Amino acid sequence: MIRITDLRHKLLDIPDLSLVARHIAVIGPNGSGKTTLLSVCAGLEEPKRGRVQILGKPPSAAKIGWVGEFPDRTLLFSRVYDEIASTPRFRHYPCTRADELVRAAAEAVGIVHLLDKKVSALSGGEKALVGLAAAVVDNPEVLILDEADSHLDAGTAKRVHRIVRESPAAHVLWCTQSMDAAAEADFILFMDGGRVRHHGTPDEVFSALEGTCFYPTIWRLRS
Amino acid sequence: MRVELDELLFARGTFTLRGSGTFDEGVHLVSGPVGSGKSTLALLIAGLLRPTGGAVRRHGISSVQVLLQFPEYHITSSTVAGEAASWGLDPDEVLARADLVGRADDDPFRLSRGELKRLTLCCAIMQDPDLLMLDEPFSSLDCTAKQRACRMIEGRREGITIIFSHESAVLPRVDAIWEMENGTLTGLGGVPHAIPRWRHAPPYLAYALNEGARPENIRLQDAREALCRIRD
Repeated sequence: MIRITDLRHKLLDIPDLSLVARHIAVIGPNGSGKTTLLSVCAGLEEPKRGRVQILGKPPSAAKIGWVGEFPDRTLLFSRVYDEIASTPRFRHYPCTRADELVRAAAEAVGIVHLLDKKVSALSGGEKALVGLAAAVVDNPEVLILDEADSHLDAGTAKRVHRIVRESPAAHVLWCTQSMDAAAEADFILFMDGGRVRHHGTPDEVFSALEGTCFYPTIWRLRS
Repeated sequence: MRVELDELLFARGTFTLRGSGTFDEGVHLVSGPVGSGKSTLALLIAGLLRPTGGAVRRHGISSVQVLLQFPEYHITSSTVAGEAASWGLDPDEVLARADLVGRADDDPFRLSRGELKRLTLCCAIMQDPDLLMLDEPFSSLDCTAKQRACRMIEGRREGITIIFSHESAVLPRVDAIWEMENGTLTGLGGVPHAIPRWRHAPPYLAYALNEGARPENIRLQDAREALCRIRD
């Protein structure tokens, strides 16, 4: 469970929120606090006031896989292989084990052909995929993706959605501007002005957003 | 005004880009998977990369602008207003159009990613170059900002606009569609004839085509209108 109580941080104002669903999509306008919420849940930012508990512990004590919105800012190493190997290496895994994990993650994400490439030579979408492989390499308890799909074509985004669905993480917190993708989540948070305006199943949240451009495109055609 | 790709060839490592064709005045959409060479093509057309073979010929074009995929690459100033001024534009006007009024003195990196994208996109469009290339202009934007961006793109009265994107929900009215796959550029021709041939069509358009509808253009409203016509 993800439990947020009395959270006041930057523009975020979330008095009380408990999330039990596994695949949670965070949606809302630009500048509504989605990234701030995700980074507080990831333990990247310490809230000014209030508390976030992930699986009964503070975020910094949970194993979190993070894919940021600026791939260039999160990628640390110059070679793709080293980037994906960073978590197993930081955890002092034996080389052979680290190598197995890197290859398995690259295989799952579909970027085995990029392992020996320089990160600087990759396309924007490829960088996002490397970030994803590095985040899932050691099976995080919680996977947090900040608009990882905004640099991806439909086919690649589908592959990413599959990886996210199949990941053994207890929770996946996923921020996206694709309402068609959000419609597939178990639970949705709609943020606006730092507050959670709507939360619930996709049906519940989107019925509150009918008539706005946040309503999924395919639903608009079928109605 | 037109851009001609004459047996354009660009090779780097194991990647090879090839393309021929003419971009006439109007709005062109180039779609294709991640890593297929869309950004490389934008840089080649802009003259920022030198082709290995063939040529990019620009006719009657006196100004060129590329909006890069990652907006942070554009930042040269420590304030939002300074950033707008660095494009040779009036900051007040840019901030109003980018819906960033009141943020003039903020550090551009204090903006959210979507807000930063809105800023650079507005600057690129407001500069109004003869040849404007927009690399993933809609990524990170919310649907309201995407709609506004589409209106700004559609509002360009003359010149060539080439959009490199895999956006699948909010698209502008376009005149022609191109596809990139494994480094090869294929022109599908003018809209609406190109639409049924478009393999990377967004889900709503694919749905409408599948139902037997023939949308006039590629926007959601075009798909809805076309569906409405056959359902009556």
